[in-house]
Amino acid sequence: MAGTLNDASSSAIELLPARQQRPILEITALHKRFGAVEVLRDVSLAVTPGEVVVVIGPSGSGKTTLLRCINLLEEYESGTIAIDGEPIGYRIEAETGRRLRMREREIAAARARIGMVFQSYNLFPHMNVLQNITAAPVRVKRIARRQAEARARELLAMVGLSDKVAEYPIRLSGGQQQRVAIARALAMDPKIMLFDEITSALDPELVGEVLAAMQQLAGDGMTMVVVTHEMSFARDIADRIVFMDAGIIVEEGKPDHLLFAPQSERVRAFLKRYNDRYRI
Amino acid sequence: MKEFAPLIGSFWYLLRGAGMTVLMAASAVAPATLLGILLALLQVFGGGPLRSAILGYLFLIRGIPLLVLLTFVYYLLPLTGIDLPPFWGVVLVISLYYAAFISEVFRAGILSLPQAQWDAARSLGMSRRLMLRIVVLPQALRLAAPPYVSLCVSLVKATSLVSIVGLWELTMASREVVERTLAPFQIFIGAAAIYFCICYTLALYGRHLERRVLLGH
Repeated sequence: MAGTLNDASSSAIELLPARQQRPILEITALHKRFGAVEVLRDVSLAVTPGEVVVVIGPSGSGKTTLLRCINLLEEYESGTIAIDGEPIGYRIEAETGRRLRMREREIAAARARIGMVFQSYNLFPHMNVLQNITAAPVRVKRIARRQAEARARELLAMVGLSDKVAEYPIRLSGGQQQRVAIARALAMDPKIMLFDEITSALDPELVGEVLAAMQQLAGDGMTMVVVTHEMSFARDIADRIVFMDAGIIVEEGKPDHLLFAPQSERVRAFLKRYNDRYRI
Repeated sequence: MKEFAPLIGSFWYLLRGAGMTVLMAASAVAPATLLGILLALLQVFGGGPLRSAILGYLFLIRGIPLLVLLTFVYYLLPLTGIDLPPFWGVVLVISLYYAAFISEVFRAGILSLPQAQWDAARSLGMSRRLMLRIVVLPQALRLAAPPYVSLCVSLVKATSLVSIVGLWELTMASREVVERTLAPFQIFIGAAAIYFCICYTLALYGRHLERRVLLGH
């Protein structure tokens, strides 16, 4: 059931409190450029197991790029990213000190442990809901089909879509598609989930159902990095909020601190503009 | 109806010619499709030199009329000492010729798949081969289906050109009958009707396939 989502890691945390200090995601001195534009400038971020980190900031601040670097959907020029202590993406050759990209197979294996949900859902349109969810577990993780399907049904029940098992994506609303996408990512039993503005493309009345699914996931102890523009959601769900602007992390802290008593002028200006716009 | 007596009298003969047309087209369409898909994949994913070589091939083939190619190979093959029955020589030329066009159709299908689909497949840890097989190709083939069916229809009609190098099929059979009966109008109406039936069936079947695969969509 839903409560078993992250059992292994959460019980490990209870037994070994010291382990909690070891980050499950560690980004160090990340630099990334698109041509002449530096999109990420020396970004470092560590996320501990079970932590929910919400990344906010203006458009073009590098939030999405940061997320996409984590599972190497974007290449980056320097810096390291490690999941559970294992570097992913690049390794440094011992003799020469040269930085080499890992083999495609190693990168794919690393990606399989990182769940990602996209702004535009990106379900596979030629597969029905069940096939969307079971394709990767069966073909990548080689889980028995029956077992994968049972797990898929569990996950669909968790996101409230048990009746849509055989439906094709085009017949689903945006909110339903996004919940299927969440289930699809969870079906790989990821160590960490990345959410890239997953409610931005949704009609306002469909946002709630997707946020509720994320909220439940966070409650179950999933480690999450969430890029969002939903400030009140960020406040509710985040253990820590990271504010990015122009490719750097300007400020980070507990939600109440960052949202109500920000230290930097840049964050204050951003929040003021946001509040002016969305105050009803 | 008396005017159509020559056609009625030779209709079975024409149908036998049509059988040959269908056989020729069917023999060519499979290799043309496989080679077309292969060329499309190599063009999208292959390295630079390979890509240029394929591009050169496409430009060459697309710039020469099929009739000229057929004639060329008809005279060239005996000189090279390759002993290929004329039927297979012609099938080879048609396959190579249509592979060039089919590859462009499939390449367009692959390229028109949104980047987001690749992202989703990669984020799930799929290997390149796996995502090609279960995510990219199934969708690319669907996108390419309508122009691909048109090319298949065009291929069927292109077989009429082989009568120029002496191969016997529907058009050749019609010309023979015309020489015997001196009724070109009636005979070629018959031939046209037969061609139309073959192509129409093919196009309908294509539509049916499209609808079946798109409905689930």
